[in-house]
Amino acid sequence: MTALKDYLMAFTRHIRDPQNASPPEGVSERGMAVYTEIVFNNIDSSVSACFPVLKKVLGEDIWLGLVREFFIQQPCATPIFREIPEAFLAYINRVSGLPPYVQNLAHYEWVELYLAYADETIDWSQIDTEAYLLDYPVAFVPAMTLLSYDYPVHQISPENIPASPLETPVSLLVFRDADDEVKFVELNQMTAALIEDLQDVQLSARQALIGIASAMAFDDVDAIVDFGFELLRDLKSQGAILGVLNTNHD
Amino acid sequence: MQQFQSKRGAGLGLKRELIPQIQAQFGKKEIAAIDFLEVAPENWIGAGGKAAKQLAWFTERYPIVCHGLSLSLGGPDPLNIPFLHQVKHFLDAHQIPLYTEHLSYCAAGGYLYDLLPIPFTEEAVHHLATRIKQTQDILERRIAVENASYYAAAPISEMDELSFIKAVLEEADCDWHLDVNNVYVNSVNFGFDAKAFLQNAADAGLGGRIVYGHTAGHYEEAPDLLIDTHGATVIEPVWDLLSDVYHLFGKFPTLLERDTNIPPLLDLMPEVEHIAMLQNSK
Repeated sequence: MTALKDYLMAFTRHIRDPQNASPPEGVSERGMAVYTEIVFNNIDSSVSACFPVLKKVLGEDIWLGLVREFFIQQPCATPIFREIPEAFLAYINRVSGLPPYVQNLAHYEWVELYLAYADETIDWSQIDTEAYLLDYPVAFVPAMTLLSYDYPVHQISPENIPASPLETPVSLLVFRDADDEVKFVELNQMTAALIEDLQDVQLSARQALIGIASAMAFDDVDAIVDFGFELLRDLKSQGAILGVLNTNHD
Repeated sequence: MQQFQSKRGAGLGLKRELIPQIQAQFGKKEIAAIDFLEVAPENWIGAGGKAAKQLAWFTERYPIVCHGLSLSLGGPDPLNIPFLHQVKHFLDAHQIPLYTEHLSYCAAGGYLYDLLPIPFTEEAVHHLATRIKQTQDILERRIAVENASYYAAAPISEMDELSFIKAVLEEADCDWHLDVNNVYVNSVNFGFDAKAFLQNAADAGLGGRIVYGHTAGHYEEAPDLLIDTHGATVIEPVWDLLSDVYHLFGKFPTLLERDTNIPPLLDLMPEVEHIAMLQNSK
């Protein structure tokens, strides 16, 4: 390595890990301390802003230790600031010794940031907002994800820390509505399965529902279709469904 | 864009906190002194949703300057070429003519997300110049680089800061983004005369390279240690320096940076107006 690179690597190794890595020889202690402080505070505030509940349930000391280890262990490859929390999430997912609910909770908190900025645009020219919801493929908002967690992530707080995983995982539909607000809707298992099938753009909602009834060997197809229709109307009123895909059906 | 390519103009950094306030005051005389806005591409590249709509609102109404933070021109990690292509696309998509970066680095074995000091060595001059040229090639335009504030002098430095800046600007053949607050902060932290520094820059013929300026407030941690927080009002000695700079080099578009401790928009306007006033005085 060259003298310049040697110096820069030593300087930044000390910023990352001031306890264990010495600064380059001859650098003022006071000046160095400014950098170790501002750089870490910057990273901490970026990560803290995304994971407020995780920070609260872990407590200040464990949290700061975790952010420090992240900074030492996980080289961040992204120049984009809002992607720092995603790198932290990746670190959380590979580190051992954390309470078992932490990965679920961290993902749940991160997904709000992710969907708020997801580079998706609603193409209104492809969507009929007035048509009958059962007769065509459903048009969901493009920034949407269907999630399943082993822990009740949406209820965790310092006073409510889960001791064990749920018997049935919790399903959440998370989406950015047409007004750019990120919303969370808790779903039962049946509804979650329906939404998954309805995302197939080849099928009308009615076809998807009939397929589900058949897969479940459920005789009362009309009941499934009625149930599905109510669900679609509900999701439309909540903003996850915009209408149906415009397939030249006039 | 023609508005920005004129020799003057007072600008303000487009911070999220200020967005709704500027939108609400748009067209009113209270914020008429804002001629242009500045964005960090790292905050907007690839951002959809509300952010994309806000950016579109501003690019339709104001000239925009791009001031980058993450390029790490002086750093040991390889120059991030895919990111530079994203920057190029961003500049083209929003018709932003000017992109500036820093004489510093922010990545070494991964990003650290802050501006770190480069030793003033021959090797660093060549390293920076090579990467600035490469950046200009990819972006297909000249860029300007900003003199950075710093808090820890490198014992391996071989020259003073102005010699270093001059060597880089000339070897890279790029423009200078002059930050007067950074000159002031460094002059206090390292005990040199800021006015003499600027006079020497003029004598060295660097005036022709200045295309853009910054001014800002800072935090006094100790009488001989100023921190470039962009979190306070611009102090009188820095306004004096800006006035000197305009006399030495002529007028150029200049921006008020305010990144922390951000007050209501209307409380920032006297400083934006102060820039405009200095530009309009003889």
